[in-house]
Amino acid sequence: MKTTFISSQAVSQALRYQMADMQQQLTQAQTEMVTGKVADTGLALGAQTGQAVSLSRDVDRLNGLVSSNALITTRLSATQNALGQFASVAQSFLSTLVTDSAGSVDDSVVQSAAQTALSSATAALNTNVNGEYIFSGINTDAQPINDFTAGSPSPKQALDDSFQSYFGFSPDDPAAANITADQMNDFMDNVLEPQFLGSGWQGIWSNASDQTITNRISLNETAQTSLGANNAGAQKFMMAASMVSDFFSGNLSDAAKNAIVGKASSLVGDTQTALTDQQSQIGLVQNHVSNANNQLNSQVSLFNTHLVSLEGVDQNEVATKITTLLNQIETSYTLTARMQQLSLVNYL
Amino acid sequence: MSLTTALSIAQTALFNTSRQTSVVSNNIANASNEDYGRRSAVTSTAGNGAQIVTIQRAANDALFRQNIEALSSYQGQSALLDGLNQLDLSINGSDDSTSPATLLGQLQQAINLYSATPSNASLASSAIDSATQMAQSLNNGTEAIQDFRAQMDSQISSAVSKLNNLLQNFDQANKAVISGTRSGSDVSDALDQRDSILKQIAQYIPVSTMTRGDNDMVLTTADGTTLYETVPRTIAFDPKAVYTPSTTGNSITIDGVPLQPGSGGNTTASGSIAAMLQLRDDVAPTMQSQLDEIARGLISSFAETDQSGTGQPDAPGLFTWSGAPSMPAAGTVTTGLAGSIRVNPLMDPSQGGDATLLRDGGANGADYKANSSGGASYSDLLIKYTQNLEQPMNFDPSAGAGDKASVLDYSTNTISWLENMRQAASTAADNKNALATKTQTALSNATGVNMDEEMSQLLDLEHAYQASAQLMKTVNDMLNSLMEAVN
Repeated sequence: MKTTFISSQAVSQALRYQMADMQQQLTQAQTEMVTGKVADTGLALGAQTGQAVSLSRDVDRLNGLVSSNALITTRLSATQNALGQFASVAQSFLSTLVTDSAGSVDDSVVQSAAQTALSSATAALNTNVNGEYIFSGINTDAQPINDFTAGSPSPKQALDDSFQSYFGFSPDDPAAANITADQMNDFMDNVLEPQFLGSGWQGIWSNASDQTITNRISLNETAQTSLGANNAGAQKFMMAASMVSDFFSGNLSDAAKNAIVGKASSLVGDTQTALTDQQSQIGLVQNHVSNANNQLNSQVSLFNTHLVSLEGVDQNEVATKITTLLNQIETSYTLTARMQQLSLVNYL
Repeated sequence: MSLTTALSIAQTALFNTSRQTSVVSNNIANASNEDYGRRSAVTSTAGNGAQIVTIQRAANDALFRQNIEALSSYQGQSALLDGLNQLDLSINGSDDSTSPATLLGQLQQAINLYSATPSNASLASSAIDSATQMAQSLNNGTEAIQDFRAQMDSQISSAVSKLNNLLQNFDQANKAVISGTRSGSDVSDALDQRDSILKQIAQYIPVSTMTRGDNDMVLTTADGTTLYETVPRTIAFDPKAVYTPSTTGNSITIDGVPLQPGSGGNTTASGSIAAMLQLRDDVAPTMQSQLDEIARGLISSFAETDQSGTGQPDAPGLFTWSGAPSMPAAGTVTTGLAGSIRVNPLMDPSQGGDATLLRDGGANGADYKANSSGGASYSDLLIKYTQNLEQPMNFDPSAGAGDKASVLDYSTNTISWLENMRQAASTAADNKNALATKTQTALSNATGVNMDEEMSQLLDLEHAYQASAQLMKTVNDMLNSLMEAVN
């Protein structure tokens, strides 16, 4: 009586299928061991694959933001630095003015101090980082402050012209000696001020845009990351320095000169206040960017953790699996060889 | 008288043994033939010793049916899985490296970097480069999908012609079985051949069998369409050589009835043809719609808006298409959009365009220029574009990847859609393969040959032969003794 029947083909096929299956598992385990990720993300995660792709894309994007924030940080520190320079120029010019108003300084000394202050302040405002003029607002390919004597009409020319048209003669004219302090004050308040603080500033003095640069500093945050040269601080300082440097060489009366020094001192004082404001403004943005960076970095590590928990494999487990598989395959080889020998033919 | 009878019986026994030996040797020769049914010579008692009545062929109808059914569904599943793997690799690349989702992320990053330093011309070109890659990936994806459909079509066509041939062969084998059965001869070989053809047919379409008188077999598909009844029925298919996103493939008719494609990841398709129809008419077109929707999302995310306040409609900006300057209809699939999307030549430096148009706007005329002052570090528009990519918008739910999401999320949803299907298909393929192997083993165990058994039978036969020969010798000796005594 026959119990269960097995065909010779079923015996050999069973061995073959098992062998193929184990070898396939082995190659998968090898890939997993090397990459630390599941061999086929799609098959392992199915509908969650999109989430894994999205996470790894977000990690790339966050890292991208970190590197673009590095550019922004460079610009902000350069801005801070330039503001510092500007402040020290303002400080030293103010001390010259104060000393002069005490009457102890020669006019030519004051004038040359003003010229130095003018060119130093212009240089500070024209700071260029990575090919961008950082005080130009969004118009970064144009120098924000024109050189005093460059261009047509140059700022100096414009200044001289307004003097000429107000008084009817140039500062070098002997008649200039008759200008009273009141006349001078009226000229400064009603002619020069509009030129600097009003519509005359743009074009003659400045090429900067009022619109400052906006940057994305984190996934959903933007920040104003630059300052323009079109603010009262720069305008008042330029007015003070250019007045002193341009008019002190002429034949102006002492009264007029004193009026100028008085006005200039008050303008530079205002500038210092404005600069302090701007420095703290930029400081705030710097702080903002650095916070954003911290946040970005912690997001990156969080996302990476998620990513690993989604598609990572336990390498110890994989190593164990590989060892087991290798043992199994070896056993299977031995078994196959044995079973091939196990035939009745050999005993007949 | 009785001695002669004994001699005659011994003769019959020798004859039987040699016939049985030939059956055993035939069994051994076919030990590794899957379609071979084990033969046995059935003996019965007759007046003068045993007589071989018939050669029986081991068969198990229930197992055979299970086996061809399992074979059909495994073939269907495996064809679907192969197709999905191929689509996954050609659209998304290895580890999704060239998927629209990944390239979209790179594009957003490039634009974001550009927005950090908008005056930098090389960052502008790199943003445009990224956009070009994005558009190319959609174009290539469209091409790959349509090539795939054309490839499926030609595979279906060759499968149909093979199937028609197989039905012809089946006709011959079936006729041989019928005539053999009628004339009472051994039809085992013809039955083997018929089963073998049946298994091959089952790989293409699911088949049910019904056996009538004289071993005549009728074949129908699983849903009842006749494949073979006395004569083979025609399976008709008209292939198309070229596929575009708007092409609809022809259906297959069996005896005039159209064959239904499979559906789902764990496909209902049984047999490879239904799975290939599913890939050609369902999976690939859905993926095409998804690419089209991503393309539409891109065009609308980068659309330029009227800045003049005269209420002019939005117009395609960085990405444009064949229907520009109008925008693709919102919320619905524009068939083939992914094939026609390209980077606006006005912005592409390699086509003589100006990359700064991306920063400033105005590709559609001065009314669309957002950077009115022309400042080189104007970044508002660029930032708006990167934010647009994250704004939810409406997508056509018929594309199967959701109806409201940002373009970025939608692009990953499409990956999820495909991988979900692939995972289901892979798991189902493993299961169906296991079932097919299992039924194959069961069938082989029921009807196959065991060498050891055949060898032991051979031993028995040898002994029987020896015994019969001994018997003849003994009878001979006895007859000799009788003759000597008589002489």
